[in-house]
Amino acid sequence: MHTATGWHVLCHTVSQTWRGLLSILRKLKNAPDQEVRILLLGLDNAGKTTLLKQLASEDISHITPTQGFNIKSVQSQGFKLNLWDIGGQRKIRPYWRNYFENTDVLIYVIDSADRKRFEETGQELAELLDEEKLSGVPVLIFANKQDLLTAAPATEIAEGLNLHTIRDRVWQIQSCSALSGEGVQDGMNWVCKNMNAKKK
Amino acid sequence: MTYFRLVPLLWRRRRLRFECRRRLSDWRKNAGIVKTADCVINLFWQLFFGFHGLLLICLAIHYIQKMFLSIWHYLHTTFFRYWLKWLIRQVTGKCELQRIFHSFIQGATRAIKTEYSLEASKSKVLRDALQAKEDTVDNHITQIVKQKKIQLEKDAEFKVNLKVCLLQICGYKKLMKNVEDLRKQVFDSENDEHEALLMKLWKLLMPNVELDSRISKQWGDIGFQGDDPKTDFRGMGMLGLANLVFFSEHYPEVARQVLSHSNHPKLGYSYAIVGINLTEMAYSLLSSGALKPHFYNLVPGSPQLEHFQRFYSYLVYEFDKFWFQEEPESIMLFNQYREKFHEKVKRLLQQPSVLLVLTLDSEI
Repeated sequence: MHTATGWHVLCHTVSQTWRGLLSILRKLKNAPDQEVRILLLGLDNAGKTTLLKQLASEDISHITPTQGFNIKSVQSQGFKLNLWDIGGQRKIRPYWRNYFENTDVLIYVIDSADRKRFEETGQELAELLDEEKLSGVPVLIFANKQDLLTAAPATEIAEGLNLHTIRDRVWQIQSCSALSGEGVQDGMNWVCKNMNAKKK
Repeated sequence: MTYFRLVPLLWRRRRLRFECRRRLSDWRKNAGIVKTADCVINLFWQLFFGFHGLLLICLAIHYIQKMFLSIWHYLHTTFFRYWLKWLIRQVTGKCELQRIFHSFIQGATRAIKTEYSLEASKSKVLRDALQAKEDTVDNHITQIVKQKKIQLEKDAEFKVNLKVCLLQICGYKKLMKNVEDLRKQVFDSENDEHEALLMKLWKLLMPNVELDSRISKQWGDIGFQGDDPKTDFRGMGMLGLANLVFFSEHYPEVARQVLSHSNHPKLGYSYAIVGINLTEMAYSLLSSGALKPHFYNLVPGSPQLEHFQRFYSYLVYEFDKFWFQEEPESIMLFNQYREKFHEKVKRLLQQPSVLLVLTLDSEI
């Protein structure tokens, strides 16, 4: 039993070494990726950090409320996505504007099951869309928490927030569950297709 | 490291050479000449002179080094260790456990060495002892004494020492399970116990202020995010709430002092949220085993939930001090400073004599 474990560890490390060397070769062949700055915003408890960790394929079971922000880089479709997840607590929303500069895509996350706060989240979104520094920036709205029975469908949220009145930029609403990962990839595909033209 | 000193020089040369190569390849493309050999040369060139190349060669050396280390580790654990142990046993007439107990006083070093010795043992009896429960410990000890043919008349302390170590090792595992169970309990507004605990937290922290209603903006005063704390416990579940209550109940003065600090106009932070965040820190330190030295030094038996919560209290008090010493520009830098604090605690926990207990500064 014991020798078997030792042997396994050895095999594992050797294979890791190979993988490491192979990844080096791969890196040599490919040019460095184009960097993209993506901002994740939304009310507290919308699921921004869960979404971030889901995108980075990290464990999502120990998440705590975000004080300040988290940042992660993810490789996707030849892009290096720098994702900024900013805390959504009311107290720190005034700080959001410090992160607007040079944003390529805005992802706005909504808790679809928290109907009581639809108005609040709509207001915050409207304010974001009025920001000069974010003018013309494509916006993806994630109607999150679709795994909950009480979640409102994306169409209902789009209607409630009057999304169809957005004319100054490309936008999309995508229903998803950051918990299960459903719909997240579809949203990110949209992001990669619609980021600012200069990046392509 | 010498590679890196060369980098600026090479970098300049590289840019020049790149420019030349680019022009050459442009010309070739225009002329319709593309050499396959070109690609190979390019790869070699990048590998040996480019900044990337140097970095990657260093990385490759690192990987290969790691592989050799692991081969050595494999040989050591499978062969050399046993030969050496056998030899020492023949010379001294003592088994490894006895030698550990004689060389180290009770505490982290002894318990950790015992744990490793049991884990790495070829004998199933010794490995099984690590799965002991509190009531089966004596049974396991008897079996080990028999297996290792230890003469108790020559080493009377052996049984007592082994028992303490086993209780510490197995108690840590049990504590991990208890903490995990508590963490997995989601805060549920329908559960009266959960609700009562939440109200208790309010009363402990704000004894002179009545809460208007269960859902109220006032929760923000003790550092929850919105009007209803139930969404703030998240991945820490009831463990987060239990810790907040424990700290306020057992260190009422300190808790109120920390709370008033957290309302500082410039350096303020959200008391409850940071508390839940620090619960995560304590939890991850426990799960990774980093807390072992602390508990092995603290309790000569199995550590209990209370000991874990006292460690949490230590973290809250120390983090508050750390935050005000560092004077961060704004709350947005929380995660950077949290990480710095985390590293500091981890470094402390690596010392064999570590004991992280909340001790008040005299100024309070």
